[in-house]
Amino acid sequence: MEDESHNNTLPNGFNTGSPESPFLKTSTTTTQHNKEQDRFLPIANVGRIMKKVIPPNGKISKDAKETVQECVSEFISFVTGEASDKCQREKRKTINGDDVIWAITTLGFEDYVEPLKTYLQKYKEIEGEKLSIPKQMRSEQRLQQHHNNYHDQNNQPFNGAYASSNLISQPPYVPTDQKFSLTFSPNSIQSQLRQQDQIDSVGHWYE
Amino acid sequence: METNNQQQQQQGAQAQSGPYPVAGAGGSAGAGAGAPPPFQHLLQQQQQQLQMFWSYQRQEIEHVNDFKNHQLPLARIKKIMKADEDVRMISAEAPILFAKACELFILELTIRSWLHAEENKRRTLQKNDIAAAITRTDIFDFLVDIVPRDEIKDDAALVGATASGVPYYYPPIGQPAGMMIGRPAVDPATGVYVQPPSQAWQSVWQSAAEDASYGTGGAGAQRSLDGQS
Repeated sequence: MEDESHNNTLPNGFNTGSPESPFLKTSTTTTQHNKEQDRFLPIANVGRIMKKVIPPNGKISKDAKETVQECVSEFISFVTGEASDKCQREKRKTINGDDVIWAITTLGFEDYVEPLKTYLQKYKEIEGEKLSIPKQMRSEQRLQQHHNNYHDQNNQPFNGAYASSNLISQPPYVPTDQKFSLTFSPNSIQSQLRQQDQIDSVGHWYE
Repeated sequence: METNNQQQQQQGAQAQSGPYPVAGAGGSAGAGAGAPPPFQHLLQQQQQQLQMFWSYQRQEIEHVNDFKNHQLPLARIKKIMKADEDVRMISAEAPILFAKACELFILELTIRSWLHAEENKRRTLQKNDIAAAITRTDIFDFLVDIVPRDEIKDDAALVGATASGVPYYYPPIGQPAGMMIGRPAVDPATGVYVQPPSQAWQSVWQSAAEDASYGTGGAGAQRSLDGQS
């Protein structure tokens, strides 16, 4: 049942970056190739992200993209392993978002923590918003979302006990009482100020 | 305080930028004068670019409101997570969070790799650039087995050739004194050449930051370049 729910939810966010479907099994070679591909994220998606920080006249060799593909899979396994160990120590069966952030913090990726906490917080806010407007959703989608949220809430007590004080704990699910608003925190203002400083600094450099 | 530090860094950078034209025009005489500055300049640029990158990410994520369209497929992420036999169940939010974490990881690794390509006066990112970025960055230690030793040797050879056979290594947050001691003189042509590509990169980031949107980053970059010409 749990797996069914995940399977139903995930396809919504699925991007067809992979040239071949992992379910296609026309020959041994194809099957082997698919299994090989399943270990990595699609090279097209990886390449697109890499191009965001390369100058327009820069190029990326295919072996560079393939190397980054391998690095990303290693990153996922590295962080997942740490999160999984934590869950086992705490005798929990499900890896949640806070576990991922904890693992990333523990493994030294300090710069990633603040953006990811903000991202997770906003995700929870938006998911909560959707659940408080059942009329705008199909009954099936509502049931799926409800199940996910219930599952998420089920982990909150443990998070409350072990998560750092910086993590924002979501209260138990009570749709009729909850109000969600996307107000910008002082951190946002500070980020924008720093961004302006950066821009001024760069502009000044070019003068 | 932070602003003052940045201004001081900027002023320092400006002071260092002075010798570049002189070095270019002076030839052998300029070589001596321009020895230390180009390298410090490169390191400062790297730190500056990474600071800009993280500042931009914080701003970008503050405005996220769509969790349906991801840069990376969630099903594939989940499959990679599940490859570990100890992993039992995964909540819906974990792959979504990983999609963003992996994007940040790819971006940081690519920036650090590109800086190495620029140091070697190339416009194409290669495998040995990624190997160099992994070698130089502590948090990427878990990746050392991913890149073959051949790539690292090749990198050493390139660096050795560039530095007259003297290999070098410096941490991302190197101290000026340490760097000056460990780093031999840089060829003035190299020092002069490295600057223009970095400016182009800054231009891209500046326009992207101003647009505050990945989607229009390309167009913004083009406008910015047109404005400069």
